[in-house]
Amino acid sequence: MSSPTIVSSRYASPSSRSIPLTWILLLALAVHGPLLLMQLPNSTYDANLHKFLASNYAQHWFNPWNEKQFTGFSQTTYPPLEHQWIALFSHLMGLNLAYMLVQFIAILLLPIGVYRYARIWISERAASYAAVASVLLGSLAFLVYNAGQLSTTLAAPLYLNALPYLYEWSREGKGRALLKGLALTFAAAAAHHTTLIFGSVLFALPVAATAIIDRNRDGVDASTAGVVSRAAIFAVLAIAGIGIVLLPFWIALYHNPIKQMPIPHASRNNYLTSIEWGLNYWILPWGAMMLALPYIFVRGFKEKRFVPLFLGFWLTMIFGLGGTTPLPKLLMGRLYEIVTFERFNFWATLIALPFVGLLVMQLIDRYGRKAVVALSVLAALTMSMAVAWPMYHPTHDAKFDVREIASFLNRDGHDKYRYVTLGFGADKMDELSILTNASSVDGDYNSARLLPEMTAYGAGQLTNSKYYGVNGMEALRAILKHADQYGLKYIFVRDIYYEPLLAFAGWRKTEVYDRGAVSLWVKEGIPPAHPTDFGVKPTATEGLLWGTLPFGSSLLAMFLVIAFPDRKRMSETIEFPVVTSEQPVLREAR
Amino acid sequence: MKHILPVIFAVLTVALIAAGSVHQSSTAPASTPEGAVQSMFNNVKARNWGGAYSYVAGSSNVDQQDFQRDLQGRYSSLRTYSQLENVDTRVLHENDNEALVRTELKYSTAVGASYDTRDLKVTKDEGAWKVNWQTEKEASVPPQVIPVNYLRWDVIWRGQGDDWGAQNVDGPRIRILSANYAERDGAVIVMGEVVNEDTVPAFVSVGAYLVDKNGQDVAFESSFDKMSHVLLPKEVSPYRIDFPGQKLSNLKSVRMKPDSMLVPASADPVIGVLHQHIEKDAKGRTVLKGELLNESGQTVNIPHVLATFYDDNNQVIWVSDGYADHALLPQTPQPFAVDLRDDLAAKVHSYRVTANQYSLNRED
Repeated sequence: MSSPTIVSSRYASPSSRSIPLTWILLLALAVHGPLLLMQLPNSTYDANLHKFLASNYAQHWFNPWNEKQFTGFSQTTYPPLEHQWIALFSHLMGLNLAYMLVQFIAILLLPIGVYRYARIWISERAASYAAVASVLLGSLAFLVYNAGQLSTTLAAPLYLNALPYLYEWSREGKGRALLKGLALTFAAAAAHHTTLIFGSVLFALPVAATAIIDRNRDGVDASTAGVVSRAAIFAVLAIAGIGIVLLPFWIALYHNPIKQMPIPHASRNNYLTSIEWGLNYWILPWGAMMLALPYIFVRGFKEKRFVPLFLGFWLTMIFGLGGTTPLPKLLMGRLYEIVTFERFNFWATLIALPFVGLLVMQLIDRYGRKAVVALSVLAALTMSMAVAWPMYHPTHDAKFDVREIASFLNRDGHDKYRYVTLGFGADKMDELSILTNASSVDGDYNSARLLPEMTAYGAGQLTNSKYYGVNGMEALRAILKHADQYGLKYIFVRDIYYEPLLAFAGWRKTEVYDRGAVSLWVKEGIPPAHPTDFGVKPTATEGLLWGTLPFGSSLLAMFLVIAFPDRKRMSETIEFPVVTSEQPVLREAR
Repeated sequence: MKHILPVIFAVLTVALIAAGSVHQSSTAPASTPEGAVQSMFNNVKARNWGGAYSYVAGSSNVDQQDFQRDLQGRYSSLRTYSQLENVDTRVLHENDNEALVRTELKYSTAVGASYDTRDLKVTKDEGAWKVNWQTEKEASVPPQVIPVNYLRWDVIWRGQGDDWGAQNVDGPRIRILSANYAERDGAVIVMGEVVNEDTVPAFVSVGAYLVDKNGQDVAFESSFDKMSHVLLPKEVSPYRIDFPGQKLSNLKSVRMKPDSMLVPASADPVIGVLHQHIEKDAKGRTVLKGELLNESGQTVNIPHVLATFYDDNNQVIWVSDGYADHALLPQTPQPFAVDLRDDLAAKVHSYRVTANQYSLNRED
């Protein structure tokens, strides 16, 4: 029986040292910079929604009431941070590039956040591998280049950057950590509400539990009660601060709680029976990380302090499976029909990254360059497949130009009336909303709509009515019936499916655009549009709060992080010699 | 525990996925008559035509293409703009080898929800239940020439720079011939007829304001698709305006708002209505049935039937409408049926049916 042998390394190869964060950020620049400069996210599912919301702040920073969709809605129903930054940058570089810049900032924040988050559990070197993996993450590429979920991709790194301060504050009671952690948490909350409600909890609970387990680690001597009470103080202050920072959001939610009928979403499908959606929402976002799942399951229980991280990961992963398992529906009740689940895969992959960092480190230690090459290829494939996926699985029809339509609406007083687009898709509808002064009865952000004709039916945007079956078409009929009340005179149609209804309901085709691909239908006798009674306009004070606090929270976070930098370590961790049960291989020198 | 817990969580994950995914194969043999019908239409919903056809009995003598065409529609009819959304089945009678299953189908169509009821014969075939599918026979019309001699009105507008709908001519003269009102199913309903009294075609819409006892307008609705909007000279159309949630007892009057504008139009296609009669349908409801005949030489893709029911005093007591899900081919009769309220059936003295239409590639 052989005894364990200690193999000492006389020379530390580059692959056995941690990768400097600067290099990782340069990698992010090299990988994502060109893609963003090519403005690939422009054609993603939600990009135009974010630009549309930002365009309102660009023109009316302190007035979140936007009359361009839903006959008027309050933008306090959606946290504004990224939109306000886009609005600010848009004055320098236009909306499209401003969007790319804010997205790039979110991408840069991610490896920093992942590195700091992973450091709670793993060594600097393994954390640096996790940070590299975060740059090439399939789920990130999916959200950035396919879904256009800017809010999710900005909020998550902000939380990941905030949570190490929760860990530090809970264990060591450092006031600066508390302040910086809270400021980053407020900024993250100001970026996205869904990440606040679900993601923050899923990220934070493993950290809090690990802080309790680690109460006496690294020379710290804290009691369980002390750690718990400090974590509770953090939570209470975070809740109170978020309550203030997003006060107009809560007021809007109080006045108009989400009562609308559930709207179908493919992320609630069973991914095994709907392979197409399984590929879209699970396989591509996970990519090669699927190969790490057995390791994560085994490693998650090897050490006590990894267990909370594993449990957080496991629950998030199960949620990321959408309707494939019954658990999300059981746990979330009605919320299940409101939330979409693609973002849970992003969160699950982020929580899994500390394990992946460990695995990468072990593979490199064991197989050296072979492992580096293999892992690089896998990561590159994962990223490139997710980026290229919209080419093979387009979420939109072929591109078409809406400027001619905007020009029609903006001239000769046509914007006195409201309009609707049919068959445009939500992104083109948003683009038209950005370009025109006219108001639409339809709108993209489902939770903001208050028109009873729309909330009564389980359907999304009117422009996509046919995809929601009877509910969609009945919602469209209901709106068209009330065309007089809404001043709805113009309907732009890009799908002949809708023409029979318009013809029978009294609209007449009068003009065509884009070589006949889009037709304008008009109804006579419609009175000019007037403000509708639906929704409560934010007061001037709410507008002032909305224009200052969320944006201010991000400025405060930047100030605190820059003005009070974390103390740099004076020493670098040196890996302990590897313990192996294998005998050294002795070869004859040639 | 270090080894057991990963296994437990792995098993739990697989079990959860299995719990959410285990279901019967979409083409598994049906063990009940209802199961056969449900499985067939579930495959239709999923557009799995091969799967749906596997539930059709061999004795039906129908090939998959005809079966698919029956369900998908053709000639750009309303059925081609439809997606099956819901299927309800009920066994009317059943023995060891044969059953009759009433199937109520709900389609999402381009004009809203559409309903269809079919009584399907289901037989046992080698131990599994299968549906006897009867294809719809299509009458073939002999080759012929249809002379085109209909009237047509064109309009020359002021110029391309005009605002849409701004016309430098008065709107055609139209008149509300009659207006009646009733309260049905929690809604106030205003109905009647409108005529184009002018010598030019008119694009007509009829709206109505309900006025409460204080003289305030409390609601406005329009006739939407419950009228013919393009009226040729002297043509009459029924209209019906529904006000959901209103009560007659709260109202003082109704203020009508007819609008008209000059439009180009043609008298083609002429759609004749034949063999109209009131009867009970398979579900025991009163319906007005008949046939539509497209007398022109071009296909009418989506016909819309408007029925006006009069009482002894020749007053309009109900207006009903329905879309036919089959296209009207030239010179080929096509059956139609529209609902009539059972409580009004006894009061109906006469009725008039007009057909409205939508055809692809037709501008007026």
